[in-house]
Amino acid sequence: MANDIVIGDMLWRISKLVPRSAPAVLVVLLVAAMAAFAAVSHLVTRFTLNQQARARKLYARGLADQNAGDLNAAVDDFRAALTGDPSNSQYQLALGRALRDTGDPRRLEEAKAYLQDLWQRAPEDGTINLALARVAARRGSIEDAFRYYHNAMYGVWNSDSEANRRKARLELIEFLLQKDARVAAQPELMALVTTLPPNPELHLQAARLFEQDQDYANALSQYEQILRTDRGNSQAMAGAGEAAFHLGKYRTAEEYLRMAVSASQEDANSRRLLDSASLILSTDPFIRRISDAERNRRIKDAWITAGERLRACAQAVNGGTQGSTAQSLSTQRSSTPQSANTPPAPDSLNALEAELDEMKADIPRLRSSAETDLPDAIMDLVFNIEQQTAAECGDPQGADLALLLTSRNRDAADQ
Amino acid sequence: MSGLDTTPIGEPTLPRERRFQAPRRMFAAIEGVFDEDRFFLILSVFIGIFSGLAVVCFRLAIDWTHLALLGSLPQAHHWRIFAVPALAGLAVAILVIHVFPAIRGSGVNQTKAALYIFNGYIPFRTAIGKFVCCALAIGSGHSLGPEDPSLQIGASLASALGRQLQLSREKLRLMAPVGAAAGLAAAFNAPISAVLFVIEEVIGRWSAGILGSVVLSAVSSVVIVRGFLGSEPLFRIPITTFKRPAELLAYGALGIVGGVAAVLFAKAIGMLRPRLKALPRWTQYFQPAIAGLLIGLIGYLGAPQIMGAGYDFMDQAMHGQFTWQMLAMLAVLKIVATTLSFASGTPGGMFAPTLFIGAMLGGAVGGVEHIFFPQLSGSTGTYVLVGMGVLFAGFLRAPLTSVFMVLEVSGNYEIIVPVIVANTFAYLVSRSLQPTPIFDLLTRQDGLVLPSLEEEREETILRVEDAMQPSPAVILSAADYIDAAARRAQNSSQAIFPVRMQPSGWNTISRDLLDRLLQEGKGEHTLASVISAQTLPCLYPDLPLDAALRYVNQFPLVPVVNRADSRRLEGTISRDAVFTRYQKRESQ
Repeated sequence: MANDIVIGDMLWRISKLVPRSAPAVLVVLLVAAMAAFAAVSHLVTRFTLNQQARARKLYARGLADQNAGDLNAAVDDFRAALTGDPSNSQYQLALGRALRDTGDPRRLEEAKAYLQDLWQRAPEDGTINLALARVAARRGSIEDAFRYYHNAMYGVWNSDSEANRRKARLELIEFLLQKDARVAAQPELMALVTTLPPNPELHLQAARLFEQDQDYANALSQYEQILRTDRGNSQAMAGAGEAAFHLGKYRTAEEYLRMAVSASQEDANSRRLLDSASLILSTDPFIRRISDAERNRRIKDAWITAGERLRACAQAVNGGTQGSTAQSLSTQRSSTPQSANTPPAPDSLNALEAELDEMKADIPRLRSSAETDLPDAIMDLVFNIEQQTAAECGDPQGADLALLLTSRNRDAADQ
Repeated sequence: MSGLDTTPIGEPTLPRERRFQAPRRMFAAIEGVFDEDRFFLILSVFIGIFSGLAVVCFRLAIDWTHLALLGSLPQAHHWRIFAVPALAGLAVAILVIHVFPAIRGSGVNQTKAALYIFNGYIPFRTAIGKFVCCALAIGSGHSLGPEDPSLQIGASLASALGRQLQLSREKLRLMAPVGAAAGLAAAFNAPISAVLFVIEEVIGRWSAGILGSVVLSAVSSVVIVRGFLGSEPLFRIPITTFKRPAELLAYGALGIVGGVAAVLFAKAIGMLRPRLKALPRWTQYFQPAIAGLLIGLIGYLGAPQIMGAGYDFMDQAMHGQFTWQMLAMLAVLKIVATTLSFASGTPGGMFAPTLFIGAMLGGAVGGVEHIFFPQLSGSTGTYVLVGMGVLFAGFLRAPLTSVFMVLEVSGNYEIIVPVIVANTFAYLVSRSLQPTPIFDLLTRQDGLVLPSLEEEREETILRVEDAMQPSPAVILSAADYIDAAARRAQNSSQAIFPVRMQPSGWNTISRDLLDRLLQEGKGEHTLASVISAQTLPCLYPDLPLDAALRYVNQFPLVPVVNRADSRRLEGTISRDAVFTRYQKRESQ
């Protein structure tokens, strides 16, 4: 109570010094407000400077944690840094990225909120858009990812803008392919290759993306472009061989794959593909520059091979064989809509068997040059058998596989 | 400016007078512009500025205390979490008992008491005490918020300024609410909610003069705070959506759960507070410390989120950082922690804890609803935001403020319908389970009788139609002859007859007067020639019954007419009818 009296008395004394007319009171209040404003400004400035210094330390610690892979600690540090300097975009960006990279789906929302806050302040910023695009990609949102990656591609970058834009486009393509959005990925890939500098690594990356997109023609073109400038690039050789193989250009594939295998002995995939390509080239009766006798021999071999395959498959389907064949059969059935909707195929296999028996008598006539339609008729049946048995009993091996692949790329095999 | 002494302090000498003649003339001209109402409006701006500056300092003080005592990021299982709230509680208790005895509680009731009981007087010392003790308590982790103390600091500053300027009693009373609005607006960074809260909970009535001052002070304080601390909202609001009207059922369920939680929270405080107050005086030194110890224990064992105001964690909840089980646990623990802090007499506010509990509860209910109904489109953030409003409506019982608070904080009008639905449910559930609002409960516990603004709001108002008697069978016209009027009167039991005047208006004539006029041989005269041309005041059926009191003593029968056609009599009202109706309500 005594204190109250002292304070009251003091205020009363002060008040006696203040003139009481309204304008004078307002002038005094204005002066007092200005003085208080200045004092609070000083306080806030000092406090803010202290906070900012503390925030810088925490930010540095957060970066160290992030580099050490301790993302949760980094999140805590960045968060604390941001409380010290709430308007700092750098801290906010770092927090958003760290939250995103923790791998915790629940933190993605928070990361998005921080980054979107930054985006509202600088919607043209490439870095922020790329960070938001990555959040969208983690969330699996194609629409958002597309939008933010595009913003990043056409946004403003402080340095190395071309490389950053290319990086954004590459990430977008990878994301789209991962999401099986091939239609959306194709124009991005085409746009990418038109802006690529003559850098083998970048062309290699583009070619692989084309391969991922199953656009083997463009992939082959990219690999060949690399090989024009870097003849000894074994990765490009292997890639070109594989792309040509998928295009059914087995002769080209054989050349590239042979080069790849000789350049890198450990390349098992290229070796496997080379064997297949060589087998196809040695069994395909429609290949150019072979004699009639050789063509007839290949047709006859193909007819025998297909017949054996058909009988083995029919036996498996009819329940004569258990185990892997049956398993592959069931797998195949479940994976093809046709087999899911139609009854089991024994009837069709039986029909093929009947057709095969019927054709047995025509085989000796292969030698006759008058029978111009016979080779095609036999090979049509052979291809039909290989395709039907592949559908019923799974993909074959060896010569059957070679025939199956030949049937798929009948016209291109010799290229 | 009637409250100010406008005479010069001293009589100046002639040369001085000459020297200051021009400024004095200018001052005199300016002074003529100010009457007390205008001066009060300008003063409101200054109150806003000073309150804003005080709140900026208050927030810095809380942040600084928090950093100094708990560090930048309080982590569970750290000794400081456990020890600091208890030690700070001890210090606060000593300060409250020996230096600032009037600063207990949130500050809302004290401001209301200043308005209704103490003629606007709040000691300046209260502002200092509130500032120091709340900064210490909140900064050290007691589960309290800075909004209500900011409100009281603003009110206290305004009251001190009003006293210094020797304002009239009427204006001085209003200074506290004006300062309160400024303080609350600055603390929340939300001027509309602050204005509504002060009007809804402190002043309880709307008038242009009050509203103007309250708005000016709130806006100017917010401008100051945003100038210093930035214009960022309290939370980073996630995308909130409301797609299907059927989802309102989910928000309705949240409202019901929130209403029940609000009642539990209010009952816990209402039960524990008087019990702790009734303990021997020496225990009051240790009550905040024990409360701090228990809160510290909760934090130490793994829930440091419940310490302090908790805005950062509400923000995290809004972005789906916690599972629904964690959110539910935090809501329960926050109720426990806030009850302990508040009931122990530690000064601090209940706004932030209320928002915290609501946010966590909203997120938890939303999480559970999403398990059973995965097709619900509302994100966790939406439920957290709606939950805040729900508890605000249910616990603080300020339904209008609760809606605007959510809108202002979120800046998103898409969720207005869910917020209104959920808040209405919460308010109704809370009101039906606990008729006395928390602020009124605390006031009564403190032995004060302040008007309950909710009760006033909800009170049934008697209207003229409730006491009105139906239109009588005999209605005379001013053009009627007296003998004809007397004949009609003979067939009626009425003692007084309403007379429709020409061209408009009503009057009355008694049966006695009619008989006397007939006896005097004035049967051939019209009624207009014998009764006064001055018409009676008329009432309308929808007017409050209080309006009738002004006339029923003066006139035996007051006509009640239709608003669309004043010549149409709806009924009549008399003194006896009015009193009978009032007595009937009292007996109910």
